[in-house]
Amino acid sequence: MMIRGVDLPGLAQAAPATGTAAPRSGGDFGSVLKEAVSEIEKVQGQADSSVQKFAAGEDVDLHNVMLDIQKAELSFRLMLEVRNKLIEAYREVMRMQV
Amino acid sequence: MGLMRAMDVAASSLSAQRTRLEIASANIANSETTRTEEGGPYRPREVFFVAGSLGENRPGDATRRAVQGIREVRVEIAERPPILRFQPGHPDSDDLGYVAYPDVNKIAETVNLIEASRSYEASVSVVKAIRSMLQSAVNLLR
Repeated sequence: MMIRGVDLPGLAQAAPATGTAAPRSGGDFGSVLKEAVSEIEKVQGQADSSVQKFAAGEDVDLHNVMLDIQKAELSFRLMLEVRNKLIEAYREVMRMQV
Repeated sequence: MGLMRAMDVAASSLSAQRTRLEIASANIANSETTRTEEGGPYRPREVFFVAGSLGENRPGDATRRAVQGIREVRVEIAERPPILRFQPGHPDSDDLGYVAYPDVNKIAETVNLIEASRSYEASVSVVKAIRSMLQSAVNLLR
């Protein structure tokens, strides 16, 4: 019996970008990580400055302060989870029997 | 991040509703004010919202353009003539004894107030939904 691959032209059209998606320039792991951390730092800096403005009695909306804090917390938690995952993978590798 | 944009939209709604609440409060507070710095009775204000995409716009990003928040909150003076009441002897009465009072509809302003606070609550619910979505997305990594 001859087994042949199923030819689905529709599928190829549905996902045309698979092969063509160029890797991001300078996308080695370290720089990606650095970029992510600096992004989180930016969000946290914004949260800090709006809290300071609010505490100093400037005309800022309370909800904007809360949303900035919330954003900072969420991006920090995302970073933390990624870090936990990385450490876990590293430990897994170290535990491997040679 | 995509959902952060939704949060910005909700934040713009919160700010807009806060302004609306302030204006309704000012209109109610001054509904019997007969003297202002610019002369004449207090002139009631109306609030208008202008929709628009928030933040920077890249040309190819259709979704970003489609997600519109309240870009601008405009406060304009309502062109309604004052209401004249016959009160001779009032310090702000004219030669014929009429005092000009601002045409503030207190019922309409109260409805505005209720609507603003309900819309604010609705946007807070949106923020909560976005937050729980983001949190469960982060928890996927666990």
